Amino acid sequence: MIEDRLFELIETWGADPDAYPEAERAGAKALLAAHPQRFAPALADARALDAAFDRLPGILPSAALTAALIASAPKPAGAGFRLRLPKFSAWAPASGLAALTAGVFMGIMVAPAASAASDTDDVQALLEQALGYDPAALSEEIAP
Amino acid sequence: MAFTSDLDQIARAAAGDPAAVRSLVHRYSPGILGLATRMLSDRAEAEDVTQETFIRAWKALPGWEPRAKFSTWLHRVALNLCYDRLRKRKESLPGELPDMADTRLAPHDALDQLQRVSAIESAIIALPERQSAALTLCALQGHSQSEAAEILDVSVEALESLLARARRTLRAQLLEGRTSA
Repeated sequence: MIEDRLFELIETWGADPDAYPEAERAGAKALLAAHPQRFAPALADARALDAAFDRLPGILPSAALTAALIASAPKPAGAGFRLRLPKFSAWAPASGLAALTAGVFMGIMVAPAASAASDTDDVQALLEQALGYDPAALSEEIAP
Repeated sequence: MAFTSDLDQIARAAAGDPAAVRSLVHRYSPGILGLATRMLSDRAEAEDVTQETFIRAWKALPGWEPRAKFSTWLHRVALNLCYDRLRKRKESLPGELPDMADTRLAPHDALDQLQRVSAIESAIIALPERQSAALTLCALQGHSQSEAAEILDVSVEALESLLARARRTLRAQLLEGRTSA
């Protein structure tokens, strides 16, 4: 590494030799170590500028911008038609048990009436078969 | 490692994986917004550029071929959008040139830290476009030489030339501010 090149590196990349192109880093460090006074003014100028850059505030996206960027992204295939089922939770077994209880209770209450109605129909059918006609219809026909 | 991670996330983001989308946005939006803000000196316009950049990225994801790093490609898109806007500004204001005097560190500015920061920001923005972009990518965002050169579509030697000229201009302004104070 020649001195002119090191001055160029300082002017281009700043005071930190670790920022120099990798291939020239070792040579630059060796030359700086060998002649510290020669490069001190150039390094001081470069450090002032590096420090000014470090003081610049960071620029970060707002939450609104981040949300907009995410919202503009592609959606999963079929996302608009997905059937959203409620998640299984602790109350599901309880509601199932309640439905079962209600069903059994309704069955008990309705069964006698249904059974009575069913018996009446059976008797009517049996009479029609035995007599060959419907006695209820005949009584309606002969009624005045 | 980051490159492999990018490829995996790009594939998942293209399929609409929300976690991959969020990850790409969180990783790259600060750099894109920072670059656009430094180039345009207008937060609203910089946000527009950032959104446009990501919309183009989402469109490109399904057919993405890793010829370049995703980060490089994204920054290049953003930079081109910034150049377009700067060109339109110049066209809409014919004959008006940037007022260089406003960007210099006046004596009273040099005494105040905040004003110095503001002056440096203004000075960066007043640099020629490519110098400003080179300085932002390398000195402020820490991109490698090769990546910055690829984003700017120049050789590493040309990048060095842009950087050296940019730093020389800024250093002169800093020194002028100091000696005038």
